Amino acid sequence: MDATYLDIARGLSAEIVLVLAALFALALDLGWLRREGGRERTRAVGVLTIVGLILAAIPVCQMLGNGSQRLLGGTLVVDDLTLLFKLLLIILTALTALISLEYDVGRHVGEYFATMLFGAVGMMLLVATEELITIFVALELTSLCLYILTAFHKSWLRSQEAALKYFMFGAISSAFLLFGLSLVFGVTGTTNIRELMTGSLTPLLGVGLLMILIGFGFKVAVVPFHLWAPDAYEGAPTPVAAYIATGSKVASFFVLTKVLLLGFAGGAGSALWGKFASGWAMLLAVVAVLSMVLGNCAAIVQRNVKRLLAYSSIAHAGYIFIGLIAAGLTGATSVMFYIIVYALTNLGAFGVVAALSARAGGEELTHFNGMAKRAPLLSLLMLIFVLSLAGVPPLGGFFGKFYLFAAAVGQDARHFGLLWLVVVGILMSAVSLYYYLIVLKHMYVEAAADDSRIETPTYLNAALGLVALAVILLGVFPQPTLTLLNSLLSRVL
Amino acid sequence: MNVHDTLFWFFSIAMLLSGVLVIANRNPVNSAMCLVLLFVFMAGLFLLLDAIFLAVIQILVYAGAVMVLFLFVLMLLDIKASERRRILWLGLIGGLAVAGAFVWELAMILGKPLKPLASADKPFHAGLTDVVKPLFTKYMLPFEVTALLLLVAMVGVVLLSKKELR
Amino acid sequence: MTSAITLNHYLVVSGLLFALGILGVIVRRNALVIFMALEMNLNAANLALIAFSKFNQKLDGQVFVFFIIAIAAAEVAVGLAIIVALFRRKQTVSVSELTSLRL
Repeated sequence: MDATYLDIARGLSAEIVLVLAALFALALDLGWLRREGGRERTRAVGVLTIVGLILAAIPVCQMLGNGSQRLLGGTLVVDDLTLLFKLLLIILTALTALISLEYDVGRHVGEYFATMLFGAVGMMLLVATEELITIFVALELTSLCLYILTAFHKSWLRSQEAALKYFMFGAISSAFLLFGLSLVFGVTGTTNIRELMTGSLTPLLGVGLLMILIGFGFKVAVVPFHLWAPDAYEGAPTPVAAYIATGSKVASFFVLTKVLLLGFAGGAGSALWGKFASGWAMLLAVVAVLSMVLGNCAAIVQRNVKRLLAYSSIAHAGYIFIGLIAAGLTGATSVMFYIIVYALTNLGAFGVVAALSARAGGEELTHFNGMAKRAPLLSLLMLIFVLSLAGVPPLGGFFGKFYLFAAAVGQDARHFGLLWLVVVGILMSAVSLYYYLIVLKHMYVEAAADDSRIETPTYLNAALGLVALAVILLGVFPQPTLTLLNSLLSRVL
Repeated sequence: MNVHDTLFWFFSIAMLLSGVLVIANRNPVNSAMCLVLLFVFMAGLFLLLDAIFLAVIQILVYAGAVMVLFLFVLMLLDIKASERRRILWLGLIGGLAVAGAFVWELAMILGKPLKPLASADKPFHAGLTDVVKPLFTKYMLPFEVTALLLLVAMVGVVLLSKKELR
Repeated sequence: MTSAITLNHYLVVSGLLFALGILGVIVRRNALVIFMALEMNLNAANLALIAFSKFNQKLDGQVFVFFIIAIAAAEVAVGLAIIVALFRRKQTVSVSELTSLRL
């Protein structure tokens, strides 16, 4: 508890750099660049944003391996696990900014990138805390940034509508989360998640936990709390949709894992077949099945790529829940691994959509007809991302899913306890293959109405190529990452 | 019944009644006015719970700032009362079911008296310094983040509500 | 004379207010009234926190409420700005007329 201000500042150095970068981006856009054209401003401020993110990554890398620190009574935790996820969030934000460089974000360039950076700060704090008040404040900061970014297409009615829907659902989820937190605080008398469950799950604590789960259910978009997601993804500018689908999901899942596995480990109950016991595992199992079934089935009928990706991400949230239900060290490791793979893959897919849709004329599936001829490289990358999402062998998505299911089967393997969830998951993965292949069919088989080549900037191709490479490597050589996550998590759990 | 109990019943019943009026009123301006009442009665309950500082903040921020914001937007957009009361039966039934289930659940749990972690009759000292001190020690981080959040909100609100200049 | 009002009384009032807020969110179509109902929900949580704070003799609950009040004000400002922006494009605040996105 004897942390000096210097310790705190060191622990927060990445966030401080990002805030300074955001303020500088605002000032730059408002001051020197006022007279420049939209394109030059986007480039200048975007590059500044990326530089800020790279600068923020330096202290994070330096702190890696320095042991763990819990500052200010757990409101700030600095250990290798949180630093690793901070690094992931920085990479995701940098890629989002990179995609935005070529995207028409309207006239308010400085505000766009600054809000994105503030959102990144919120997500990083969300990852770095073990205290309920800070979790709530950081979650609200992230959400507010995302609402604002969703509404960024000011001349576009769909963007405003999407923002309003996103905001309403977000605000309801905050209300539920808050009421749950207040009950949990009241029953336990503490706001530190490591001290939450000392006894058994009393009824009032159970209601509190239920409401917290409803709140997080909205944030990570699982059925039946998913209604905002397709609309928000479709209406938001594509880079922002990518950010909502990856950055905020990573942070929310990370903190949900911590709350459940650290705070409420004793209240899990059981979702084993035939041995159901009330607790969060049972609830999560129901939600996971609903998400996998509804998400995958609804994705089949979508004609818009962003909506399709939205429903697919709902289904993926269902898969991740299976890992949470498996719990324990293996479950947590599989969840963390899957989050990393899922975030990189999804960001790549959204990146390709963002790069191509502006010049292809839209985001309907038919706009992507014949893309393999018009933009061969990006189509190839999209192939990798889509196949990884579908879980086709040597790619990261396959191994992530495999490990999730393996963790679930490992629980009570002799009695096939969680096998029922795994069966649903595998069946639904087979269904998902169908709509992922439809996307590829449009890109590779259908003939395009217009055969002109689509040129995309080299840096974008290179960045997306690197993401694809990472997705392949995580599938081919998953072991180093898994071992790392396993050892880091064993120190936390 | 002593004064404290009488005041509790008065404030809570009045507050819930104004809550009903907020959602039952056809005219949004009337709803906003009922919401002001709700905030004031809520501040009364805060006072009964020895939260003097928060009661003042409640009046200042909610009844002052937030309500003015609501009324400004109502005036700015010049929203008329909805001409016909179109009741969504599905929504009404669903809403009542959700709210009813919630109340029932709570009633089941709260039927038995809860044992508070500490004795309730002990005087609870929560003066300004007691409440504010944690903001600069243990809860320093969320306090700073809140400052950031207000900045984001300000930037966002200016950006979103501004008319595009051509 | 000791007070007959216990923690349960406050929690029941808070729970009723929360239920009322949820009812308002589901039943009303006017986005502004929905926001007001959401404010009621947040207030219900505040009441529960302050009651717990008093009966548990812990100040953390009051500190939490302080944050919630600040955040609620910021949140409602952003929400109203989104409504204003939407209203400029389409002259309505009724959520049942938000139809350009298929649900």
